[in-house]
Amino acid sequence: MAKYLLRRLIQLVVVAFIISVLVFLLVHLLPGDPAAQILGANDTAHNRAVLNKQLGLNLPLWHQYIFWLKGVLHGNLGQSYLNHTPVTQVISTGWPIDLELIIISQVIAFAVAIPLALITSRRPNRPVDNISTTATFGMLALPPFVIAPIMVAVFAVGLHWFPATGYIPFTQNPATNLHDMILPSLAITAGSIAVYYRLFRSDLISTLQEDFVTMARSKGLSPRWIMWRHAFRPSSFSLLAAAGVNIGALIAGTFIVEFLFAIPGLGYSLVQAVNQRDYLVVQGITLVVAVAYVVIQFLIDFLFTVVDPRVTRE
Amino acid sequence: MSVTDESGFSRRSFLSRGAVTTGAVALGAAGLAACSSGNSGSSTTSGGSGSTNAKPGFGVGAPQKGGSATVAIIADIDGFYPPANHWDTNGFLYANTVYDPLMAVAADGTVQPYLAKSITPNSTFTQWTLKLRSGIKFSDGSDLNSAVVKANFEALNASLLTGQALKGIAGVDAPDDLTVVYNLSDPRPQFPSGLTTQVGYVFGQAMIDQAAKGGTPTPVGTGPFIYSSWQPNDHFTATRNPNYWRSGLPYLDQITFRPIPDDTQRAATLKTGGVDLILTTDPVSIKEFTGQSQYQLVDSLTGVIGEPTVAFIMLNTEVAPTNDLRIRQALAKGLDVNQILKIFGGGFTRPINGLFLPGSEYYSDTGYPTHDPAGAKELVKQYKAQHGTPTLQLTTVPDPRLEQLVAVIQQMWNQVGFNVTVNAIQQATLITGFIEGKFQAATSYQFGNIDPDLNYVWFSTTTVQPVGSIALNFPRNSDPQIETALLAGRHSSNQSDRVAAYKKLNERLAADLPYLWLEQYPFAAVGDSRLQNFVGFTLPDGTKGYGFNEGIMVPTQMWLNR
Repeated sequence: MAKYLLRRLIQLVVVAFIISVLVFLLVHLLPGDPAAQILGANDTAHNRAVLNKQLGLNLPLWHQYIFWLKGVLHGNLGQSYLNHTPVTQVISTGWPIDLELIIISQVIAFAVAIPLALITSRRPNRPVDNISTTATFGMLALPPFVIAPIMVAVFAVGLHWFPATGYIPFTQNPATNLHDMILPSLAITAGSIAVYYRLFRSDLISTLQEDFVTMARSKGLSPRWIMWRHAFRPSSFSLLAAAGVNIGALIAGTFIVEFLFAIPGLGYSLVQAVNQRDYLVVQGITLVVAVAYVVIQFLIDFLFTVVDPRVTRE
Repeated sequence: MSVTDESGFSRRSFLSRGAVTTGAVALGAAGLAACSSGNSGSSTTSGGSGSTNAKPGFGVGAPQKGGSATVAIIADIDGFYPPANHWDTNGFLYANTVYDPLMAVAADGTVQPYLAKSITPNSTFTQWTLKLRSGIKFSDGSDLNSAVVKANFEALNASLLTGQALKGIAGVDAPDDLTVVYNLSDPRPQFPSGLTTQVGYVFGQAMIDQAAKGGTPTPVGTGPFIYSSWQPNDHFTATRNPNYWRSGLPYLDQITFRPIPDDTQRAATLKTGGVDLILTTDPVSIKEFTGQSQYQLVDSLTGVIGEPTVAFIMLNTEVAPTNDLRIRQALAKGLDVNQILKIFGGGFTRPINGLFLPGSEYYSDTGYPTHDPAGAKELVKQYKAQHGTPTLQLTTVPDPRLEQLVAVIQQMWNQVGFNVTVNAIQQATLITGFIEGKFQAATSYQFGNIDPDLNYVWFSTTTVQPVGSIALNFPRNSDPQIETALLAGRHSSNQSDRVAAYKKLNERLAADLPYLWLEQYPFAAVGDSRLQNFVGFTLPDGTKGYGFNEGIMVPTQMWLNR
């Protein structure tokens, strides 16, 4: 297992390096003088000199990369040229919000998808199964930017159960925070519920037809015992893999949902920065999100080795 | 002639309304109109603190002190420092919270003293002497005096962004603690109107010192509220200034602004009680709240006395094919504006023929081309015989409504013989394209101003530059008759001369066609029933102020019914 993990760790470092190069080049892909492009209307001789010094734009490209990477490793990602907020501050304020959204949405997704799959897989093609399958098809077809306004219209404007927009930090008021996050989380999670449910249901049905399950039944074990003790774990590999792959979609989902619900997470900041051509903020957030994605994939790979030791052997 | 808060002195009575928002376009333009604070009329025309008037946006009953109000705005700003940041409508809302202007616009359109006690010109209007009110302190405890106002001018003048707005000011003197003398390079009878704009908001010396050290200045002003916290793209909160120089004000203990960029979500947040007031420019939202008794709707579409913000298609007169007048005429004639507004205007707006609306003394029949597809086809035919089919790119920003709009326009123009492509690019990129002249035709909005002179830079031949160079005359329309009219309007104190000058400007724009006019750009504020007097503020002498200037409100006299 150690060898496997080491190999994956080396791959992680290589991918992170490639990401850093690509993100670094982002600024250099701008047409014309990068400093002028970054500064926009603030392009004064003074500002340009400060920025050139800050980014080392007068140095050879490789030197600039080393210079930039050194800054990154020291937590210096530059500052917004619109409001002069350090990019690290934008990220440190935003990432807990994204993380919270992803965690809540995943908790909801698993809490809905797993029990539903457990129920329907025992009696496939019955009314409950058919209704669930049809409903999840619908959820799969609706992206967050469609679901969000519908949810707001129904649950916020219509029923007044939740606020339409807004965010209170968890540390400030946990109850309000969770209340505020429910609608955005639901908007993101609908697709996940559908994917998780359908995968897990399908795997459970297959597993329940395996010989070892038939053997268990013939021994007189209860359906509940068979489901939890024998079928659940071998059916969960695809679910786990899907959860890992889904992280990318969830990050994208948070970006859209944060914008719609005016939640000041990384996604909202990134959308605003892109719209306002605040390149250093775009660069910083892109780097952090991309590296975080790779690290999460690594952790999921690690989790696989725990759930299914065959992975390391393969 | 002088403008003073002490009645009995003569007051300028020229039509001076609005100025604000040059829209995002103006803002990005580093220009100074970007610095115009503005206004235009609004559907509300009277009211005030403690009024029993039940007009939307005006207070009913006695003002109540205390409470915290939350206002949803369209977008966040880039900062509070006037020399460095671009204030649009949202920016002026923030500014009116923590700062005060030297001059302000009254409800009758005149420019009146605010932080100033009076302002008086010399006989040739080349020197203006401004007297400050005494005893006013900034939020950091420092005094408002002439030295700070002079330092403000120097910081603003040194800025690329705001320097152009101060171009005609040769220098500023501070002969005593409360007197500021502005020496102008040419006669400017309308000079005080410029002090209602971004360059007229006074900020503390501490901000200048902080900026000089390379820092981001924390707002220090004389305004009704004191800066408390600002998390960009999330909220800006300010608390009551306990030492505010206007006795008994403000009424609210705290005010918070929340940027909510999505129109639908902003409206939904008001409906769910998440905010007390929203600002919107979305016709769908305006229509939705119209006639709903539980909300107070105030819009900028009626009662306009001055120059409104207008939406248009800008044509580059320096690049082919729009450098050919026949093409610009064909584009104007090929455009069915009535049909466009029917589809996209939400049923509120009406076609315009220039910078001014019917009812304004500057309004006239400009001779702007009407919809004439046959005439357009003929002009295209003439052009085609010489240069081939005219190919044109129509650019807009990534807004679903605008993208649908340009698709309809594309169809109209293609029907009269053009080969039109459309594209949507980010607003900042579009603005850069305007500044550098790298566009053919593009949608935009601009020009809301309290006085037509504040739009000088956008039309002047002195601000035309070749394509690729920075120019504030975005369409690069170089018409000597326009320059003559602009200078006549600028230098004259005779209102009838000014009216003639700006009518001439409007007529020349209709002849040159650097802009194809679409509609008056709508701004609206919608408040819940608790929030009172959000457009009913008064000036220090009790004169009714312009409470809704192209979306800009003043929070000083808002209160909450609790």
